[in-house]
Amino acid sequence: MSTREITVLYFAAAATATRLDYERIPIPADGGLPLSSLSQILASRHPNKGLDQILATSQWSVNEEMVDDVSTVVLKGGEEVAVICPVSGG
Amino acid sequence: MSTHAASTEASWETGDNGVAVLTHDRLDVQAIAASVADDTAGATAVFIGTTRNSFRGKAVTRLDYQAYSSLAVKTMANILRDACNKFTRSDHRTDKQQVSAVIKCTVHHRLGTVRVGEPSIVIAVSSPHRKESFLACEYILEEVKARAQIWKREFYEGEKEEDAEWKSNNGP
Repeated sequence: MSTREITVLYFAAAATATRLDYERIPIPADGGLPLSSLSQILASRHPNKGLDQILATSQWSVNEEMVDDVSTVVLKGGEEVAVICPVSGG
Repeated sequence: MSTHAASTEASWETGDNGVAVLTHDRLDVQAIAASVADDTAGATAVFIGTTRNSFRGKAVTRLDYQAYSSLAVKTMANILRDACNKFTRSDHRTDKQQVSAVIKCTVHHRLGTVRVGEPSIVIAVSSPHRKESFLACEYILEEVKARAQIWKREFYEGEKEEDAEWKSNNGP
């Protein structure tokens, strides 16, 4: 059985802090990964880079849809998740 | 600076005469304004946002724009659709039909490096009468700034590249 994983996209301040555009995160084989626990996982993979503070002010998108209620989302594997920092277009 | 793999060219047509575009190319204001031309339009409002040369006394040398293009272009298209649905009234209409007062609308946003003085965003809206095109143009601008998944980084004269600041439209 292949390992299930999600792809996490980083933009703007999150990409600068992690020095990554994206990374793949494994999903526990039993059940899924609550989106609410992803911040902790990412922050622990990139300690001392200010990512925890960036995540605290950011939103999530899953498969190109903004997430309104983080508590309702459980990642099953295969999703494209993005850290959406406060936007600054225009 | 590396270009984000997801920060790619993208465009989206709403199907209601709205077109959203993200591009690395310079924005051609004349062509964008002409793209909303219509014989039933009596008004075209155009907004041009350009890179300013200073921020709090610091000299800005350039801005870099990045986007989650596949999502940002959908968000921009939704905003255009909202604008068409929001502005339905025209003071000059005698019947009671709720038709959109926006005939055509478009928003084009730059990606990558934008030098001082160059447009980073151009919005054009055509309508039968002037009021709705002004209102829709402003609505589209404010919503894009608040919601579209686009980010700018400001580079200052005499400062290291890595100290350049990612901006926020909503934060401090």
